[in-house]
Amino acid sequence: MNRVIETEAGDQSPGPAGKPAEKLATGPIVAPVADIALLLEGTYPYVRGGVSSWVHQIISALPEIRFAVVFIGSDPSMYGPVQYQYPANVTHVETHYLLRQDRHGKPGARAGNRRAFAQMDSLHEYLRRGGEIPGKEMMDAFTRLGSANGISQEDFLYSRASWEYITEQYRQRCTEPSFVDYFWAVRAMHAPLFVLARIAAGLPPVRAVHAISTGYAGLLGSMIRLRREIPFVLTEHGIYTKERKIDLAQATWLHDHNDDVCNTLHDEMGYIRGLWIRFYEQIGRMAYGQASPIVSLYEGNRQRQIADGAAPERTRVITNGISLERYRAALERRPETVPPVLGLVGRVVPIKDIKTFIRTLRILVNRRPDIQGWIVGPEDEDQLYVTECKELATSLGLNDNVKFLGFQNVLDILPQLGLMVLTSISEALPLVVLEAFASGLPCLATDVGSCRELIEGRSEEDRALGAAGSVVPIADPQGTAEAALELLNDAGRWRQAQQAGLARVARYYDDKLMFSSYRNLYMETLAPGSSGTSGFSENAGCTVTHPV
Amino acid sequence: MAGIGFEIRKILERDSYWSVIRAYGYAGMVSGGPWVLSILSIMMIGVLAVTLGVGQREVNAFQICVTYLMAASLIWTGGMQLMFTRFVADRTYADDKAEVLPNLFGVLMFTMAGGFALAAPFIFWFFTGPFIQQLLLLCNFVVLSGMWIGLIFLSGMKAYRRIVWTLAKGYLLGIAVGLAASQWKLNGLLLGVLVGHSYLLFSFLHHIVREYPGNGLLKFDFLDRKRSFYSLFAVGTLYYLAVWVDKFIFWFVPYTSEAVIGPLRASIIYDLPIFLAYLFILPGMAVFLVTMEADFAEQHDRFYRAVREGDTLMHIEHRRDRMVYAARQGIYEIFKVQGLTVVLCLLWGRDLLHAVGISPLYIHLFYIDVVAVSVQVLLMAILNVLFYLDARREVLIITGCFFLTNLLFTFATLHLGAESFGYGFAASVTVSAFLGLFILSHKFNRLEYETFMLQN
Repeated sequence: MNRVIETEAGDQSPGPAGKPAEKLATGPIVAPVADIALLLEGTYPYVRGGVSSWVHQIISALPEIRFAVVFIGSDPSMYGPVQYQYPANVTHVETHYLLRQDRHGKPGARAGNRRAFAQMDSLHEYLRRGGEIPGKEMMDAFTRLGSANGISQEDFLYSRASWEYITEQYRQRCTEPSFVDYFWAVRAMHAPLFVLARIAAGLPPVRAVHAISTGYAGLLGSMIRLRREIPFVLTEHGIYTKERKIDLAQATWLHDHNDDVCNTLHDEMGYIRGLWIRFYEQIGRMAYGQASPIVSLYEGNRQRQIADGAAPERTRVITNGISLERYRAALERRPETVPPVLGLVGRVVPIKDIKTFIRTLRILVNRRPDIQGWIVGPEDEDQLYVTECKELATSLGLNDNVKFLGFQNVLDILPQLGLMVLTSISEALPLVVLEAFASGLPCLATDVGSCRELIEGRSEEDRALGAAGSVVPIADPQGTAEAALELLNDAGRWRQAQQAGLARVARYYDDKLMFSSYRNLYMETLAPGSSGTSGFSENAGCTVTHPV
Repeated sequence: MAGIGFEIRKILERDSYWSVIRAYGYAGMVSGGPWVLSILSIMMIGVLAVTLGVGQREVNAFQICVTYLMAASLIWTGGMQLMFTRFVADRTYADDKAEVLPNLFGVLMFTMAGGFALAAPFIFWFFTGPFIQQLLLLCNFVVLSGMWIGLIFLSGMKAYRRIVWTLAKGYLLGIAVGLAASQWKLNGLLLGVLVGHSYLLFSFLHHIVREYPGNGLLKFDFLDRKRSFYSLFAVGTLYYLAVWVDKFIFWFVPYTSEAVIGPLRASIIYDLPIFLAYLFILPGMAVFLVTMEADFAEQHDRFYRAVREGDTLMHIEHRRDRMVYAARQGIYEIFKVQGLTVVLCLLWGRDLLHAVGISPLYIHLFYIDVVAVSVQVLLMAILNVLFYLDARREVLIITGCFFLTNLLFTFATLHLGAESFGYGFAASVTVSAFLGLFILSHKFNRLEYETFMLQN
């Protein structure tokens, strides 16, 4: 079964046995096409980046496990060609787009199933209350989605029943004037669910699913778990719900209709913006309700998952790791003396707060004119911000000291740096810190994500290894500059930090550790008797009868 | 709201009976004007020509020729009139105005050259008269086809005042030339209308070319299926077929008709009353224009603005109600005014026919025709509302019904005998108007649902 089968949303391409995929899922005894189906939203294999390379690493490192890759994108126009060569253990590939508009048929008046919409109301009631949703309720809702005697996509889009339900909800709840905004928000929110229901129905048999985020991938995981009673593993790198909230808080495509007459300084969030946020919160909650285990990269995110509704006993931390061999060469090429060069390795975007880095350098250069600051990373994401940063450097008179190097091979850059600096205002578990440690480079980082854990250690034993640099406050050039000087001017301290970093990365962040954690996790999950019915499903209040 | 509605509003705001009469008089002129002016001037040429010594037979032949030319050119261009009006509206909405002029020439080319190719073999084959007569008929047909396009285009631009003014001048010119050339009998009269209509065609074009920018000379984008609605073509053609089909039946059934010239036949009993009756739609047409263009159009615009610009659902529904009210009020007003006209015709019809020297034998047919054309005004108002709502399928159903019922009912009256003549047309218009009302009411009831849920 080494053949890779590529299918697209809605296609009835034959599965490996030459039958339509839908048939495969319902047939009584059919060999699974893969052990683990990876549910990937907007990342691997189409978009390069941290999460994608992590996925590729995991697949490559576990050749004994067969993977199915299920990519969920928004619109085909947003993705280029596949960016990775699939390892041999990828045995099935599916690509789906949530916002593709061309498969709904021509609009035509239809009555729609009023009863099905009325039943939807009770699920919405649970969602609004924000508590645990009974598995049966969710199961029923998923079964109704897209089915002929439930709510088909055409029913949702064109039916009279759907119209009546939407307008009734608007009358009861929406506090905003614009009906057309509300209407399109509801449409945009629900349209992907029908695609997900089709994916869940059409996916050939696999033994377990593994979503690499909550959101639509997580929701798909919940659907498949409930339909097929197979285990659902969830790994979160960042926290999807939080990222979506940040996006939505800034989204300019949403208009908040604030009352101009009694407008106060702290304007309230618009109803529709709130609706979107609740939507992502709730689909996140659904995924937490169905997934086990729920993996995060570091303790901070585990706590956040628990706060967002994940059962603590199902959460666990598996940190990211890197290949130490890869950076040994960089370590060996490190010069005797510490280069007076601060490096910021990352995309030039506001979330990395490049400006604080530049201001820090101004202060440093005042004290030691030989100090350099290198900004290493692609500059194509936010042109305006890049320009602003360059202008800032010029206006501070730092043209000789600050260099924008663009995208570079990190292995070449690392030996030339004296300190790795992260001024980010948000991070999860930044790999550059691990890379710096592995190549013998201490780090300065803001207190975001797992940076403090990485620099100071997370357990007693870990902390005993010493600090591998310093943690600095967010947006504080003065503090950052002081911390940098302390390390650069004191060779003894610098060496100490270097040794602590080397020891920490070797002991806790070797990718072999990560691979073996996932190997164990998959083995546990795939072990006979660990099917979805045992253990956690009762917690979710779910009595699953065989759905398919 | 632009154009005529605004002008009428201004007159009405002066708030006196005189201003009301002026407003409706004005509206009547611009809406019923083309129709009435052409009937009147053809009649006038006839009457004056007789006094100038042209034989009654020649005058009859002339009037029949012009009637056929009008009917044929309207049916031939009706589809294109509607389809092209919509094409122009869409291009204007898309801010693509420069596309319009070359396409207008495209449409003119299509209808005039096509009309020539269609009519020439027919005329040269069936008309045995002198070549000059055949040529005059052919030219008249081609020019009329072009003129309807120009007229509908100017109506779309809401240049009503200009239309009426130009029409008055054109028909006066036609009458003058016709009379001056009356010594050549039929040919002279035909030359008169040809000159009049040519003048109209070129004045319309002159006005359009001056107002519209163009980015080319000739384009045929209006035939593009993606940019045009062929259903509108069907509606336009069907509508004119429906309006004329009963006349054609009476013309070509031997015992109600007689041959007049070449293959053209006329029905003495049927034709005159109906053409007279059409003169009495002016009051209804005036109300139609005022209520539809001024009141309904404004409410319609407000409704869609509420939808587009993000109003509350309650407000959108309120706007819908106001729009429905405006439509209902408009139809009701037409009903009232046209009803009064019918009553007056019933009271004074006999005297009227007597006054213009028409046999009182026609009186019953005249009565029922006045009722029928009055209902036709209602039907036009209903179709107009449906056009505003872009209900192309519904309009097609109604015009289809109009055509089929007129065909069937008219044949039925031929079997029922002379007593029932005219009732076929009247029943057909009435059935179609009721169907229209029913469909319109259904459409209004689910307007928001269709607006939001069924858009492409």
